[in-house]
Amino acid sequence: MSSDTKRAIAIVACVVVAGVLVGCLERPKQAQAPAAIAADHMAQWKQRNPDQANRWVEEERERHKIQPPADNSPLLKAEQGKSHVYGNYSERDVLMWGRETEKLVVEGSRIFHSADRLGGTIGVSCDMCHPDAANTHPETYPKFQAQMGRVALLRDMINWCIQHPVRGKALAPDSPEMRAVEAYILAQRKGIALDYGKH
Amino acid sequence: MRAHSQSLDRRSFLKRSAAALGAAAFVPVRVAQSAPDAKDAPAFRFAYISDSHLYAKDLNDRFARALMRAVDDVNNLDPQPDFVFYGGDLAQLGQAHELELGAQILKNLKAPLKIMVGEHDWYLDMGAKWRELYGEPTYSFDHKGVHFVVLMSVVEADFWTKRGLTPMQRMLTVAGLDNGVQSSFTVGAEQRAWLQKDLEKLPNNAPLIVFSHSPLYKLYKNWNFWTDDADEVQAILKRFERVVVIHGHTHQILTNRIGNIHFHGLLSTAWPWPYAPQGMPELTIQMSRPDPFNPNDGCGDGEVLVHADGLVDKVYSLWNRNPITVAKGYTASGGKECVPPKPNRPSY
Amino acid sequence: MSRRQVLRVPVGRVALGAALLAVALLRPTVSQGAEGAAVPKGEHGAAKMDFQLQELAKLVPGADVSQVPAGFDPMIWQAFVPKDNEPNEKRVALGRKLYFDTRLSKDGTMACATCHDVTRGFTDQRKVSEGIKAQLGQRNAPTVLNTALLETVFLDGRSPTLDHQAKQPIVNPIEMGMPDGEAAAKAIAGDADYQKAFQEAYGRPVNYEDIGRAIGAFERTLVFIASPFRRFLEGDKAAISTDARAGWDLFNGKARCVSCHHMNLSNPLGTDNRFHNIGVSARHQDFEALAGKAQKLLKEDPSEKKLDELALSTPMSELGRFMVTKNRSDIGSFRTSMLLNTAITPPYMHDGSLPTLWDVMDHYNKGGEASLFLDGGMEPLALTEAEIGQVVAFLFSLTDQRFATENARQFAVQKAAASRVRPFRDLQIANRRKLAFEDRIKNPVK
Repeated sequence: MSSDTKRAIAIVACVVVAGVLVGCLERPKQAQAPAAIAADHMAQWKQRNPDQANRWVEEERERHKIQPPADNSPLLKAEQGKSHVYGNYSERDVLMWGRETEKLVVEGSRIFHSADRLGGTIGVSCDMCHPDAANTHPETYPKFQAQMGRVALLRDMINWCIQHPVRGKALAPDSPEMRAVEAYILAQRKGIALDYGKH
Repeated sequence: MRAHSQSLDRRSFLKRSAAALGAAAFVPVRVAQSAPDAKDAPAFRFAYISDSHLYAKDLNDRFARALMRAVDDVNNLDPQPDFVFYGGDLAQLGQAHELELGAQILKNLKAPLKIMVGEHDWYLDMGAKWRELYGEPTYSFDHKGVHFVVLMSVVEADFWTKRGLTPMQRMLTVAGLDNGVQSSFTVGAEQRAWLQKDLEKLPNNAPLIVFSHSPLYKLYKNWNFWTDDADEVQAILKRFERVVVIHGHTHQILTNRIGNIHFHGLLSTAWPWPYAPQGMPELTIQMSRPDPFNPNDGCGDGEVLVHADGLVDKVYSLWNRNPITVAKGYTASGGKECVPPKPNRPSY
Repeated sequence: MSRRQVLRVPVGRVALGAALLAVALLRPTVSQGAEGAAVPKGEHGAAKMDFQLQELAKLVPGADVSQVPAGFDPMIWQAFVPKDNEPNEKRVALGRKLYFDTRLSKDGTMACATCHDVTRGFTDQRKVSEGIKAQLGQRNAPTVLNTALLETVFLDGRSPTLDHQAKQPIVNPIEMGMPDGEAAAKAIAGDADYQKAFQEAYGRPVNYEDIGRAIGAFERTLVFIASPFRRFLEGDKAAISTDARAGWDLFNGKARCVSCHHMNLSNPLGTDNRFHNIGVSARHQDFEALAGKAQKLLKEDPSEKKLDELALSTPMSELGRFMVTKNRSDIGSFRTSMLLNTAITPPYMHDGSLPTLWDVMDHYNKGGEASLFLDGGMEPLALTEAEIGQVVAFLFSLTDQRFATENARQFAVQKAAASRVRPFRDLQIANRRKLAFEDRIKNPVK
């Protein structure tokens, strides 16, 4: 083998070894990256949504009286359920239903009591005319409101109030905020008989 | 009316024109609702404006405009009242610029101003700006033989220090009517002692009117339509033959009688509150549920006609509605005489 | 052509031309009317009665008057027909004859159709109306179109029905001027045609009450709701312009018109039939002094007689519904105007003070005028000029197709006028930079 050929092979070998070495160094870093990225994202999200990480449900309930959802524990007692595939409810089900339902209602209370979360521009929040959602009468919808030109559902009235007394932008009917506010208002009227069309 | 045919004399002209106006379809209605007859005419009157909850003008024009409207109403009263009483909650969040805006607007009143503090004015800076503008919140004065007392009835026990709240967080907590973190209103031992002393020299038959922001009784705790030490305050007032308490905070027609004390609420210029789900005094004939499509409905201002014995006719001048008077005869008779009109849209 | 032929003048045609010229010079004022053809004018500026009848026949070719008019909810319609006046051909024909009959006025110059002129939107398109002997009234004449569904009649609602209202102008000294109802009946009782018509319609001799009923029956047939907007509501999205569609959204939203101008299939007129003080009276300098005076006087003497006395004195007319109910809440209030066909019934408001629909929008945009009695629903709207144009476009889409020419003419006339001058506009107040009551409290009357 000529010296030039040897030199060429040596150079190629070095390059290959260097490449392998670099590759080895890179690999652990790449294996680490997904976990780090996930942790990084979580930290950012927590910063943007500080109260998600905190006791926001309990804090909101401390501020405002909120009706609890129905008690579903009787469902655990009935005899047939034990042999059903779908009807075999557990305590965890009862807890889950309660907890998740309550969270939406409590979120609704937060929005209801805050001009900023409602998107209002004049510092007015729903509780200024409707403390504890008094005087909202969700049980009377649907009803024809001539001043709205159509039969209103509860969410139509909510949007009318947001646009006029609160001077904000109407919420999309299935937006998270609208669903939460509607849930809160309905919750506060627990136990009142439905009476649609009542003015 | 232009000149018409000479063959018409005045009587036939009236008859014709009555026909022209379709007077047949007409039923005479009393204009004013005042009940008192000549021999029991009031000795004097004062006007009131209350609960304006001002933000800066360029944040919320509606509230500022409403207070201006009330000032305009009072300035156009004929006869002019002896003074104008402001029932508290001039500002919404107790901020200096809100209080100053309110003070500026109220300066346009022709009659002299007597003012009382509300919780919305106080809990941002614990009354620093209020004192600068209006002096001590608790005071008394005499006018035409009647002794007037102005209390600061919205004293709250400290709930903010242990929670580490900032002044604005404290104010926002108090500003929420249904916010359960705040404490109940009280008059407090210090003021009760002051009150006892202030009333010392008055005979039992002295005409006496007490102003407080919150009602000096226990209506509904959740909304602080409530004074925790109401019993103690009422005990101080018990020896008098009759006492009138006039309060703000409730933004509605509200009437009560507890023993010798006749309670009357004030209207707000900013927005009406719903009636409390429990604890409503029997004597109250509610105002019709306000219509959301009229931003001024359920709001207004009014007058208090004071009789020589200290009892009052309370006039609620509701915007876009006929005024409603709760006459002295109504509370004096326990609700049997001079009954105000019933609402057509009840609260529910 | 030979010179002889050119020079030969047809005598017949010259004579005809001369005759026509003579007629043209001799007959009263002729103007270019809505249809482009000349509208022959009669007394008090109204089109001649026979011309109006011709035009009417073209507009309402004939329908079964006993049926509910197309487009109205039958249950709602029934509620508005008086029990003693079920419509039939005889009653409607009698009413039509009476509506155009000038014998019902003291000097024989006026009929209903004088101020409610078929060629002028069934109103007179004047600020206030002119009665016998050129006397001017206080109020703008509302249109007769679609009045069947109004709950009360007159701008202050003092008449409960059309039948009742029709009788009033006949005996009003500044309108048709008859001394009383008997005189009105007497004026036509000698006419054999009328005697027969009244018997056939109501089974009674000629009388004042039935005059009202017949005219009411005729007016109920004047249903004109076939507008482009109606077609749009029924599903034809292209029936109105994009601007008008945007205007309809504003009407129901930012501009808040729908709060008082209810518009739905049960009530298509665009009025809530309620009485509101929207701050037009407030522009009359003495309005509040009048209100104060009226309240004081009525407090001392709350009798009906006193009220009528006060109502007769010219300025008290500004107090509107108050003169009927004596409710403080009704001071300066007038019934919400019907919006159907509004584009062809200028000028606007109870006193005709707003010449164009742009002026109307300027008035609402700033929340009317502040006064002690202003309706709380009047607030500054902060509408942009483009948005105003869109609402106006929507309003112009509410005119019945049969008046399309007049509608277009009004659009051109009003738009031109509005481009020249907008005396009621106040952008400071409209955009909430200045507040409505500020000036009043800064300069209180001492």
